[in-house]
Amino acid sequence: MISDDDLLLYYYRDGLDATERARVATALAKQPELAQRLHRLVAQLDTAAELPDVPVPAHIQQRWQGALMARSRARPSFRWQALAATVALLAILFTVWVSMKPAPEQIADQPSPTSPQAAGAPPETVAYERGLRWHLANTEQRLAKLDTAQPDERARLVEAIIEQNRMYALAADRANEPQLARVLRAFTPILESLTDERRETSAGDIAQLSFELRVMQARLKAAADPSTPAQPIAL
Amino acid sequence: MLTSLKSWVRPDTFHAVLNERSVRWYNACLRITRDADLAADAVQEALLKAWDRRDEFRGKSELDTWIHRIALNSAIDLMRRRRPQALEESLDTEYLMAANSPHGEYVQEALSRDLITAMQRLTTIERQTFVLKHIEGWRLEEIAESLQTNANNTKQALFRAVRKLRVDLHVWRGES
Repeated sequence: MISDDDLLLYYYRDGLDATERARVATALAKQPELAQRLHRLVAQLDTAAELPDVPVPAHIQQRWQGALMARSRARPSFRWQALAATVALLAILFTVWVSMKPAPEQIADQPSPTSPQAAGAPPETVAYERGLRWHLANTEQRLAKLDTAQPDERARLVEAIIEQNRMYALAADRANEPQLARVLRAFTPILESLTDERRETSAGDIAQLSFELRVMQARLKAAADPSTPAQPIAL
Repeated sequence: MLTSLKSWVRPDTFHAVLNERSVRWYNACLRITRDADLAADAVQEALLKAWDRRDEFRGKSELDTWIHRIALNSAIDLMRRRRPQALEESLDTEYLMAANSPHGEYVQEALSRDLITAMQRLTTIERQTFVLKHIEGWRLEEIAESLQTNANNTKQALFRAVRKLRVDLHVWRGES
């Protein structure tokens, strides 16, 4: 005897194992009245599902649109976050390049060639500067890939950049370059915002970093200007 | 693929899908919650989640399916969190108003009344199981997971719902 419950599960193709399904299928093939029962059962249930759709009230539609608008304003898209991060990184690269470039008076005083090794710098300093340049170039390349990366790959890239950045910030500390270490560390939260979906916005962080970078660039420029007295770069 | 992904970043495209499909999402949530406010909240939750992940969808169909499913899960969660005993009068009024529209006919109105009565006799888990299985086509395991129960309880809830509905809707047999 096939119950209505079994007929129903057979109809749904769900909740019966292969043996039970075969048993119901065989019975349906042999008993036309069972097939009629299944037909009536499904028709009744379809009737029960016939509640008419109600229109969405206008105020609810407006509420949804408003919520979406608010979200779109509060959370810049990944593309815009990536663009902002790229701009911030380029500013950092420029700043670091300016800070590492010797001032004109230094160039004039130095014997040629002007490499740090030739100027008497310790080998570890040369290796550090070479590594830092590679890190910055490598970070720029990785950041360029973020825009087209899949979410998993993007998360891995950002994680790798952050880890590498952390190591070079430590190296900058050891090389007695606190301002460079600070700039490198300031880049970390921007990178983290690219993968953290829960953050409301990274626009404020980016704006703050951009402001700090502009201040730093202005002071670096002033320090490198031969017309102004040489001063330490205080940030 | 990049072209299709780029198009989804545009808010106006997203809003167009919202305008086109929101009635379906809203009514699916209404059948689960029988509460207009909860249904609206559920759809809104799903919309915002979809907006945050909009770069991942590759077409209207995928976006529609995703929002529909998340909205239903949100509706179930909201029912569980906020209103274990959701008020149902407002919904019933809405359904009857829909049946009374210029397109509605006497038969439709009578059927709607009987359906409302029949649905009211179901417990929450019976109604949700019936809607998710018969109307939405979810697997029993999926329903069990969403309702935080097991597959056997889900199956039994479905059987009870079907029996009650067949008794209450006996005048609306398939032949009618």
